[in-house]
Amino acid sequence: MLTKRQNLMETIKGGNPDRFVNQYEFLNLIMEAPMDLPLAPAPGTEVKNKWGITFRWPEDQIGSFPVHDEEHKALKDITKWKESVKAPSVFYTDEEWAAAIAHANSVDRNDEFVTAFCAPGIFEMTHHLMGIEDALMALYEEPEAMQELIDYVVEYELAYAKEVIAHIHPDALFHHDDWGSQISTLISPAMFEEFFLPAYKIVYGFWKDNGVELIVHHSDSYAATFVPFMIEMRIDIWQGAMTTNNVPELIKKYGGKISFMGDIDSGKVDHPSWSRGEIAKYVEIACKECGKLYFIPNLSQGLNIASFPGVYETTSEEIDRMSKEMF
Amino acid sequence: MSKIEEVKARLEAGKAKLVPALVQEALDEGSEAKDILQAMIDSMGVVGDQFSKGEIFVPEMLMAAKAMTKGVDVLRPLLVGDTSSSKGTCIIGTVQGDLHDIGKNLVAMMIESAGFDVVDLGVDVSPAKFIEAIKESKNVTIVGCSGLLTTTMTAMKETVQTIKASGLTGFRVIVGGAPVTQEYANEIGADGFAPDAGSAAVKAVELVKSL
Repeated sequence: MLTKRQNLMETIKGGNPDRFVNQYEFLNLIMEAPMDLPLAPAPGTEVKNKWGITFRWPEDQIGSFPVHDEEHKALKDITKWKESVKAPSVFYTDEEWAAAIAHANSVDRNDEFVTAFCAPGIFEMTHHLMGIEDALMALYEEPEAMQELIDYVVEYELAYAKEVIAHIHPDALFHHDDWGSQISTLISPAMFEEFFLPAYKIVYGFWKDNGVELIVHHSDSYAATFVPFMIEMRIDIWQGAMTTNNVPELIKKYGGKISFMGDIDSGKVDHPSWSRGEIAKYVEIACKECGKLYFIPNLSQGLNIASFPGVYETTSEEIDRMSKEMF
Repeated sequence: MSKIEEVKARLEAGKAKLVPALVQEALDEGSEAKDILQAMIDSMGVVGDQFSKGEIFVPEMLMAAKAMTKGVDVLRPLLVGDTSSSKGTCIIGTVQGDLHDIGKNLVAMMIESAGFDVVDLGVDVSPAKFIEAIKESKNVTIVGCSGLLTTTMTAMKETVQTIKASGLTGFRVIVGGAPVTQEYANEIGADGFAPDAGSAAVKAVELVKSL
């Protein structure tokens, strides 16, 4: 039996996997690494992160959101971004790194990838700072200032990457940046190519050139039209590929250059009245339609969790069932 | 190209900085304010259609809407008291338990551009708040309920059914959002459904004609 890591490599290299890669099993996420996570920690809480962005998680909601009313918007005028935006320090004490290093050292790297986690992404950072409408219009109205801001975020990401690489020597990177809605990308391919492709080529190139074997990018959205850019920026696995992308077609077209992780939409199975039968149905469709290579069956959610208890684990069990049936 | 045609072309291209001056030039050349407004409403229809077809994306639609707003600002003093272009008031909000507002904001912009006055209730809006807004606003012709989460579809159902059971009349209820389908809209008793912001404006106009 192949190790999780070997099985993953066989799957994405077009070899001979002996089962489906089961969701996030191959990524051992080092979430203890010090970072400036952009989230409020629990329902009923509100935090202001080190970028000055306020996140609120109201009671009875399933996640936290950046707050963009006039009082809370961190960047009100893109032309004055240098006065408003100051990246936090990427330097943390040895004590702050200790838990991450201990975790990384405990991982059997023959079996799993020690994985660094980065969120939000570059596109997300622009709209977390300004609000989505201001950020999108600024790409037209103030492209030079937006380019400067993007370059600044890239500098921050590179500086943070350097620290992470020095401390935990990751084998993989799991990097978030949502680029679309469920049925479309938020910006055109041409605009993405102009503003964000160069930024990601630099960032992902840096990780790759410094020992990171695997780049896994999360965007739980439609982004099929961006796949050529994903390949160009050296993404190995696109996680969060929703069914609206027609993943089986993407595998036929791009398999061997990139792999796809998802095709089980969280929205369809991860809800209060979830059931094993419903999960089994969608897992089976995904596995049978996408096949054994260049595909990792997975909920579209951007971490190894679900919104409702039991959904993630049941999905894993159903993927194991499909492995027994198909391998 | 006539000045009105130029206004339309620039608006469809999202040239928000150019449109106000072109609107003024069209007025100076003798065009009627209501004709210029109608031309801009038609242009936003084109923009909405291009968005529905995936030919343009959110930034292009936002820029066109901004151009429309700036053009209307020039016309506004001349349109005071003229309600011939108004299609009534649209009350819109994201239903209770859901904080997503991008889609709802786009729909609000497109509906406003189609000639409605828009009262945007924001996100996480309770059925009671929808009812209160309908009662407090004048000439409500459309109520729009948005929701992105599968988990808030029950709140959308409750909202639509509360509005329908309230006894308030004179408007149609339209629903939308990623998990919403025509079948679901029918099931919960909504009058209309649209899959995106462009077609939401078209559907709103169509529904108002049926009043």
